[in-house]
Amino acid sequence: MDFEFKPEEQKVLDDVEAFIKAESTEEMLAETRVIGACYGGKLGREIIKKLASHGWLVPNWPAEYGGLGASAKLTFAIRDTIAYHGLPASFVAAHMAGPTIMHVGSEEMKKEWLLPIARGEVEFALGYTEPQAGSDLSSLNLRAVDEGDHFVLNGQKTFNTHSHVADYHWLACRTDPDAKKHKGVSMMIVDFKSPGIEVRPMITLADWQTNEVYYDNVIVPKKNLVGEKNKGFYYLMAALDFERMFPTGGYRRLFEDMVQYAKETVVGGQPLSKRPLVRQKLAQIATEMEVCKLLFYNLAYILDTGQIPNYQASMQKMFATETAQRLTKGCMEVLGLFAQIKTGSKHAPLAGRVEWMNRWSIVETIYAGTNEVQRNIIALRGLGLPAN
Amino acid sequence: MNYGITEEQTMIKDAAHKFLAKECPAEFVRAMVDDERGYTDKIWQGMAELGWMSLLIPEEYDGFGGNFLDLMVLLSEMGYFALPGPFFSSVVLGGLTVMEAGDADQKQAILPGLAMGERILTLAWTEMDGLFTPEAIRLSAALQGEEYVLTGAKLFVPDAHVADTIITAARTGPGETDVSLFLVEAGSPGLTLTALTTMAGDKQFEVVYDGVKAPKSALLGELNQGWAVLRKVQLMAAVAKCAEMMGGAQKAMDLTIPWTKERVQFGRLIGSFQAIQHHLANMLTFKDTLTYMTYQASWRIAAGLPFEKEASMCKAWVSDSYRQAVAIGHQVLGGLGFMKEHDMGLYYKRAREAEMFFGDADFHRELVARELGL
Repeated sequence: MDFEFKPEEQKVLDDVEAFIKAESTEEMLAETRVIGACYGGKLGREIIKKLASHGWLVPNWPAEYGGLGASAKLTFAIRDTIAYHGLPASFVAAHMAGPTIMHVGSEEMKKEWLLPIARGEVEFALGYTEPQAGSDLSSLNLRAVDEGDHFVLNGQKTFNTHSHVADYHWLACRTDPDAKKHKGVSMMIVDFKSPGIEVRPMITLADWQTNEVYYDNVIVPKKNLVGEKNKGFYYLMAALDFERMFPTGGYRRLFEDMVQYAKETVVGGQPLSKRPLVRQKLAQIATEMEVCKLLFYNLAYILDTGQIPNYQASMQKMFATETAQRLTKGCMEVLGLFAQIKTGSKHAPLAGRVEWMNRWSIVETIYAGTNEVQRNIIALRGLGLPAN
Repeated sequence: MNYGITEEQTMIKDAAHKFLAKECPAEFVRAMVDDERGYTDKIWQGMAELGWMSLLIPEEYDGFGGNFLDLMVLLSEMGYFALPGPFFSSVVLGGLTVMEAGDADQKQAILPGLAMGERILTLAWTEMDGLFTPEAIRLSAALQGEEYVLTGAKLFVPDAHVADTIITAARTGPGETDVSLFLVEAGSPGLTLTALTTMAGDKQFEVVYDGVKAPKSALLGELNQGWAVLRKVQLMAAVAKCAEMMGGAQKAMDLTIPWTKERVQFGRLIGSFQAIQHHLANMLTFKDTLTYMTYQASWRIAAGLPFEKEASMCKAWVSDSYRQAVAIGHQVLGGLGFMKEHDMGLYYKRAREAEMFFGDADFHRELVARELGL
């Protein structure tokens, strides 16, 4: 067993940290907050392209595709560091589409996409959810009709975060309406500049934007089909397995600042941190964050020993997101009445970040597979329980 | 990061599993609850022959020279089979305390016998307050001539009835941490043992010291320096108890999951109901997370790294999680698991005791708060 970083790994992490501290600006951080930490904003692209030039965007990719051939462990740690410092932390091209292209894409597709993705030059948006296809994703029916050298697409996506800042749609669409639900789906890369696409904003409780995306006779060239036609649903599920992980760095940062605040803030004649209930609450959150860390790096350990996580990825997502909610709830309880004050007020503790991240944390247990779906996966794959 | 155990540790684990499956079935566990002594010579000798008592003892004292991770895998199997008897008291509490506090002569006098399973130790710490704090240690040891005289009472002393030596934490000065450790021999005049009837039926005692005399050589380590030893032993013992709980959590799963693949209600296997599946997903999450927390804390101890924060986080998390995992097992098993003849109850009772052992979750969260600088 071993639960530490090796000196050479720590050196890379220190370099990443130093880079971020030198290159971060308040404007970039503000932009990132407004777009929900998605990659694609103007200032976010500037800093991430520089970060990517060191190979740190996709450290675990092989050198020929722009990576460093690094371990999953180091890759996970870098992603967590990025999240900790409030940089764009949600990458669809680098972390979802890219690995899928690497596994199932044609040589031509790899040549076209992988290096630009590794350099941070292009960003994708996930195009999965539809109004009638949420957790039941295989019910998606945005229709793609094969017209020989191209497809013609019609239909609607919803909750497509990223779509207003990304360059391409990583789209799951129906290419065979007569096949069984999950056997008629294909993955395609669609240029958001294509005629016939309309992106409409939907604003979340956390004030950032997600989108509806409408397709009206959109033409997509055949070469943008990922892998084989009608295999898309399997690619999508596999991508969830080998890339799914939820870094909690952003929440850890909030918690560390909360601990500091509790030490410094005197209430009723004594520091908040001296109240027994506050101590219990914060110690419990710290313990749960430690559990999060161990689940997170267990995924990396599984990958680094040549295996593919399955139920463990679901468990990590479930535990991390529920911890995020308990964390922001606990911080609000410690702050009391002050927890409700939004950023901008002189009375807002921690610049209102607890208030804001508490609202944000609502969605954590919903997106990227609801936690109910994750529990189903844990039960079926982890325990071999019978399906319904 | 490496979440795996070594080949050697796998061998320890497999050998322990095989031995205990044969020698420590649930009927034996139940019989030993009713038995006054609480274990048999046969099983104790079998364990000694497998080298378990010597596992943690350094080679210079005739031990195996293993590390804390070796101990962890062994304790996990003991927890899986709910092994009764004084192994934990003697090897973990007694052995660790002697190794931490004793001088070379004391180690030489005690550890080889301990390693052979010939000498049994225990540790008498808590008193009438039931607290693991230095001020709660009131039993006094006063130097009279060439002897210390111990007066007071200890409570919750495990396996005192079979211990050859009761390592006793005593107050030796007015300062808060003026605590010293004494090697008190069994049968010393003035020593009275009264068995406590406990939830899990393990053997714990009230030990009254009525002017018990101990020679100067019975002082284990330095005068007034016992508290630091106890603090360290407490954390290591807490993590060791977590290793037992880790095995118990695995057993609770093994008692529960197969049943959900056999039992039919409403014409379906109950394991196919999402209400059950979500319970069991939570159970597996408790089991996996308490395992990783135990791994990390044990690894830090074995590697000689600071472990205060991780050990307390571990005990807090494992205490809460093991209890909840067993509770889910009970809920899923329904009335069946509530029957005394079903083995789940053995694990419920041990989970409840283990969570209190050497500091419950609240206690360790307070230590975590201190580690956070709160």
